Amino acid sequence: MAPTRLASKPIGVNENLNGILSHGITTRSKQLATLKSYKDSLKAPNKRKADSPAKDMTAKRAAFGDITNAFNKSSANNDKDKGMALKKVTVESKMLPIVKNIKNQTATLNGKTSKTKQLQKAANNALESVQKHFAKDPPKPVATRAQNGILKNVERKSFGKENQNNSRGSAKSTRSDMSGDPSLYMTALENISPNDATKEECKVISEKLDKVNLDDSVNRSLDEETETPHKAPEGVVDFDKENWTDPFQVSNYAMDIFNYLKSRERLFVIDDYLQRMKGITSWMRALLVDWMVEVQESFELNHETLYLAVKLVDLYLTKSSRIQPEKDQLTKEELQLLGASALFIASKFDERIPPLVDDFLYICDGAYSLNQLLKMEMNILKVIDFDLGVPLSYRFLRRYARCARVSMPTLTLARFVLEQCLLEYPLVGERDSKMAAAALYIALRMKSLGGWTPTLQYYTGYTLKDILPVAILQNAALHKKPKSAISTVRNKYSHTIFFEVAKVSLVDDSVLNS
Amino acid sequence: MQKYEKLEKIGEGTYGTVFKAKNRETHEIVALKRVRLDDDDEGVPSSALREICLLKELKHKNIVRLYDVLHSEKKLTLVFEHCDQDLKKYFDSLNDEIDLDVVKSFMYQLLRGLAFCHSHNVLHRDLKPQNLLINKNGELKLADFGLARAFGIPVKCYSAEVVTLWYRPPDVLFGAKLYTTSIDMWSAGCIFAELANSGRPLFPGSDVDDQLKRIFKLLGTPNEDTWPGVTQLPDYKPLPVYQPSLGLAQVVPRLPARGRDLLARLLTCNPALRMPADDAMAHAYFHDLNPSVKNDRC
Repeated sequence: MAPTRLASKPIGVNENLNGILSHGITTRSKQLATLKSYKDSLKAPNKRKADSPAKDMTAKRAAFGDITNAFNKSSANNDKDKGMALKKVTVESKMLPIVKNIKNQTATLNGKTSKTKQLQKAANNALESVQKHFAKDPPKPVATRAQNGILKNVERKSFGKENQNNSRGSAKSTRSDMSGDPSLYMTALENISPNDATKEECKVISEKLDKVNLDDSVNRSLDEETETPHKAPEGVVDFDKENWTDPFQVSNYAMDIFNYLKSRERLFVIDDYLQRMKGITSWMRALLVDWMVEVQESFELNHETLYLAVKLVDLYLTKSSRIQPEKDQLTKEELQLLGASALFIASKFDERIPPLVDDFLYICDGAYSLNQLLKMEMNILKVIDFDLGVPLSYRFLRRYARCARVSMPTLTLARFVLEQCLLEYPLVGERDSKMAAAALYIALRMKSLGGWTPTLQYYTGYTLKDILPVAILQNAALHKKPKSAISTVRNKYSHTIFFEVAKVSLVDDSVLNS
Repeated sequence: MQKYEKLEKIGEGTYGTVFKAKNRETHEIVALKRVRLDDDDEGVPSSALREICLLKELKHKNIVRLYDVLHSEKKLTLVFEHCDQDLKKYFDSLNDEIDLDVVKSFMYQLLRGLAFCHSHNVLHRDLKPQNLLINKNGELKLADFGLARAFGIPVKCYSAEVVTLWYRPPDVLFGAKLYTTSIDMWSAGCIFAELANSGRPLFPGSDVDDQLKRIFKLLGTPNEDTWPGVTQLPDYKPLPVYQPSLGLAQVVPRLPARGRDLLARLLTCNPALRMPADDAMAHAYFHDLNPSVKNDRC
């Protein structure tokens, strides 16, 4: 079957799709979610779309917790979370399926059974959403081969990640109902160090380190080079120096690394490749990227993986359209194959436990063979010359937001801007560091948090004048009338776990210019 | 493989066989690493994918150079610069105790290669003598990036199943998934001691418990005071309380005081206090390093 959901869908379907799409996200408590949102969609399909469902949020968010990469908490904390989740659940029987999951997880911590089920569900969900998404025809039952393949392979996957993921993810989302604890969001959204334990740990370590440094002062004075190599100018917060004692910020190398990444951007220039291509439009590309975001959610992939995969698609099309004769060019039927292969490669590069090749075949609903996917993988690698070290806007944004000390909701809003703009063909040629800086600027303006500061200018290397044209393009993208065929990013960031940042009021260009 | 003439098998890497070979045109000697691609497999192995990509970026005197990647239907061939031996074989070939100037030179080059990796966003995660190559000019090069990966800032969770047991730091032995450049610095410390002892491994543990005990017998068992947060690590388990034996002088008798000081800063159980590579290069131990080694920046 041709992988073309590229034809626009009938409107009635689109409305209901809203509910169905969200199941693509759901990896746990799927039935619940299905039932719930099905009911909702029966009741008031339009309302669901308008003010993103508060009612079935529990189910959704419970599932949602899983998609993030928040599996870095210590087991001690884990237990704590479980306790809280269990307590909470007695109040809210809605959460029951999730609790069962948690129990299963703990009971079979060393068994693969539960993991298999989880992944099976994830795969089913992915398939379901993708079928809806890409198929012209109504969804068909899963091809037996694919199903068997998935199940078998799923078992082969290591279970450590899932176990932690599940229990933690669902527990966390339960907790997020009751508390506004920012560290919660950090873990839910960020999977970086500051889980509670580590944060505390860092603080104590920092204190210890201060002492140690004092003790060492004699010895240290021998070494001149231990000073911060990069000095921040007057009026600029020296973020690295302030964080020198937090090992997870890698402060001693951070400035070098980001200068290095920025210097590499010129090696990955993407041009207006579509003008060289027949039969592929910017709309098709947007549909493809929308689908890739969905796969990222369903497979619980890192955001870096998504951003890298989208880059691989654009780089491949840029380079291949230059060297290949027109007749060998990628057809629109192969576009999804390209996207899946790019995700396959990016997963192997970035993920701790990448999904298996069968998983990627599965989400394409059997449209492509194993051979085709592996061929495309090699093809991409050849065309991009095995260079996967692409500087990613997502990474720059993490850095810039931290240096500017913005809150999680603001960072998340900037992420929404950035992710929404992944779909924008007119922006593919912009430098990633600039995209990140502009997205952060828009987020600051949308939150009325002021403008571009000397600190931001120092760490991004951009003046407001540098980023303004990009910010205006990004802002235009945000102002576009939402289309349900490419609503995944908007839906994703309408969840409370993402602070519903997709609902923050937009600003006019005049605000950006001020 | 017309371009290269295979000469002999050198060994097995993380994911493929390594051959010594000669470029038929230039007669240059290279090392070929062959990666099989089976149809029913997962495509290009992620270890190969990462090694190729990372080594393409990391061009430095103290990092093995990847010249080329050749691909055919069924296999990938990585063309590396050839080095005469690895540090393990070098140890085996020693008839006597190692020259202390060589220890200093090798250690400095190891740190310089590491500092380059770390400042370019890469963790090696499998440092050990077998993965350090030595050529005739006494140059040392980091090799085998099959377990290496690029890291984000702030770091994220990565696999705890990294680094060969003897060179694995205590935080990772306790299951820490959140680690950073400090993971390689512990291995560098172990290798430093091994260098100073002419190839006798410092902590040749038989399993994770034994490994931890060997470490703590020398450095003392950590607790919440010496290492805040240690008891929160995923696989933390209480172990016998050993007092730190002030025994570095006994463990590495030939190393001078400054060398022992550097070693102690690398072999620090608490990863937050472990010395990073660029600081280590500036340590007083290297002040009298042969200038030809020091100035030989790439």
